[in-house]
Amino acid sequence: MPSAPLDTLYQIETPEGIDLPLRPAGLLPRALAFAFDLGVRGLVMGILLVPLALLGNIGIGLGSLLLFLVSWWYMVLFEVLNQGCSPGKQVMGLRVVQDDGTPIGWSASLIRNLLRFVDMLPFGYFLGAISCLQHPHFKRLGDLAAGTLVVYREQLLARPQVPQAAALRLPFALELSEQRAILGFAERQGELSAERVHELASILATPLQVSPARAVEQLNGVARGLLGPT
Amino acid sequence: MRLSDASVVIRPRTSWEAMDLGVLMAREHRTLLMASWALITLPVFVLLTALLWKSPSTAMFLFWWLKPAFDRLPLYILSKTLFGEAPSLKQAIREWPRLLKGQLLASLTWRRLSLSRSFVMPVSQLEGLDGEARQKRLGVLQQRNAGAARWLTILGVHLEIGLWFGCMALFYLFIPQQLELDWDWQRLALATSSEGLWLEHLGNAFYALILVFWEPIYVACGFSLYLNRRTVLEAWDLELVFRRLRQRLSSVAPLLLLVSALMLLPFSPPAVADDSKPSKEVSTQAASQSIKTLLDKPPFKNPETVTRYRFGEEKPTAKNKAHGEGKLPAWLQALLDNLNSNSFKHVALGLEVLLWSLLAGGLALLVWRYRDWLRTFVSRQGPRKPNAAKPVPTQLFGLELGTETLPADIASTVEQLWSTQPREALGLLYRGLLSRLLHDFNLPLKSADTEGQVLERVHQLQLPQLLAFSDELTRHWQNLAYGHRLPPTSAQQQLCNDWRALFSSGAAQ
Repeated sequence: MPSAPLDTLYQIETPEGIDLPLRPAGLLPRALAFAFDLGVRGLVMGILLVPLALLGNIGIGLGSLLLFLVSWWYMVLFEVLNQGCSPGKQVMGLRVVQDDGTPIGWSASLIRNLLRFVDMLPFGYFLGAISCLQHPHFKRLGDLAAGTLVVYREQLLARPQVPQAAALRLPFALELSEQRAILGFAERQGELSAERVHELASILATPLQVSPARAVEQLNGVARGLLGPT
Repeated sequence: MRLSDASVVIRPRTSWEAMDLGVLMAREHRTLLMASWALITLPVFVLLTALLWKSPSTAMFLFWWLKPAFDRLPLYILSKTLFGEAPSLKQAIREWPRLLKGQLLASLTWRRLSLSRSFVMPVSQLEGLDGEARQKRLGVLQQRNAGAARWLTILGVHLEIGLWFGCMALFYLFIPQQLELDWDWQRLALATSSEGLWLEHLGNAFYALILVFWEPIYVACGFSLYLNRRTVLEAWDLELVFRRLRQRLSSVAPLLLLVSALMLLPFSPPAVADDSKPSKEVSTQAASQSIKTLLDKPPFKNPETVTRYRFGEEKPTAKNKAHGEGKLPAWLQALLDNLNSNSFKHVALGLEVLLWSLLAGGLALLVWRYRDWLRTFVSRQGPRKPNAAKPVPTQLFGLELGTETLPADIASTVEQLWSTQPREALGLLYRGLLSRLLHDFNLPLKSADTEGQVLERVHQLQLPQLLAFSDELTRHWQNLAYGHRLPPTSAQQQLCNDWRALFSSGAAQ
């Protein structure tokens, strides 16, 4: 059995001693984001190339320039100027950052997108997919070279509903994880079945010195107490 | 199943993150998963290929269709390793026939094409549900995460195809150039003869190999999706923490009794809360000791061993030490001492001088070897010298200027010619002047110079007599040559006299 349990988090410690957990994104959402970007590019090229094709030789020249710009600069420009999100990543809720969590810069973005063509070898992202499935933080070769990481963006959370109960204070100290668990219990009651809520609360019935039937109410009260006046 | 034994961090995740966890789980036990998968699938594949040698596509199709039967083994291994009971390879393989028993027909027929296959597989295999109960369970489970499971299968299909093409491309790239394969892909694809068969079977083999890598990951992703769904539905993470909390509190239960008694009193609940942790007496020495051990641990001190190459500055001293310790044999020591003595100093000096002079000689040789190159590209004086050495022009305005083309006494020849051929006479005089300027006064005349430029150069010589003469002669010559106006007869006498005055005395000197 491994010493530390497996997790998908990537911990960064800032110089101030603050732990920043990032959530690296794996192959599946990244592949979908890439497919979306590919579709967008294809659409743009299709729309722009039709009028250009009518212009004869100069149209072909302009079209080649456009093809170059779209295939080499689409990702770079979006990543650097749009906080690490290309449209596909935006849709999938992803973001590119440096290994230390700082925003991606020009050089890193250029490197990771130029090396995309190494990831594509010998056909259709063969190397990239294998590297992505084998790396603990799901990096493809371009990410390894540029020192970048694709992470899930932090989404805005809806304000959770805590059931009404009289605020209570426990006669013993709770650790942080325990406080979070009790708060989580109160917040997630809506998603759980009534039997399961009862079962969970009755685990703590004995230490709380209440009958199992009243444990849910008691725990909700504790959660209210932890939350403080709102 | 004991949640506290889980080898992964149990917490509710988004569906994408859950599948990422699956990738990590597959990665953690990759050798076991891949080896067991290869051991059960590859023999089946070989058997199918041998039986259906004439129709490779059928063999491939059957192999692909049997995937759910093979998938049960990785799922079994993953479910065991999740709680830290990793089976050995032998145990896992032995278990496989037993795993095949439940609902095999269903999974190979009407459930085969389900897109959320990996997600629902644990329900029938691990929970052992069937029929109505299974349907109900799936109804609950698939309220969420089912979309992600479908995406997983769709991506899996594309990934398998992509990897297969990648393998074929790799294979093609690794064919040596000398083989001179002139393959006509269309012919190969359409060929039903035996020469096309082996290629198709090779493609099938690549597919079997790709599955060895990908299918355990696919199963693991589905399994972790299932785990995540249950974690959310049943709040496993909360159960885990609650159980831990109860265990912690049960050890301080007697204290709690007292505490709850005190709760009735209006005084000082916070102080009681502080007391709930059993405190013990600590001496100053023990405290400082424990602080020291704490400070030596990672967050404060991170010792790191770095191995790298660098220039050996300390080496000589180390060697000397080795000498001093007398580890060398006596004769070698004696020889070394001898070499260090004065008699060899001269030899060493001579050798040094020789080496330095060799170096200097080499450099000199190098410069000599490339002298032309250096003159051309390095020296600034280079380009000018050839200019100076430029040969004097033999002709100006189509007039011969060589000394040998001129008569010895120019003035008398001119006097003779003047009456009959004034043009030739004046031309001869002018040629004579130019020739003199060129050879006697070393004027740098060029073949491109005009008469005016020649005059300017004469002006630079600062000889007024010569200048006046040249001026006069040039004027007459230009009038005659271009304007066809004969000079007056008096001019002839004067020019000849001037010429004699200027050059005959110079020639006599």
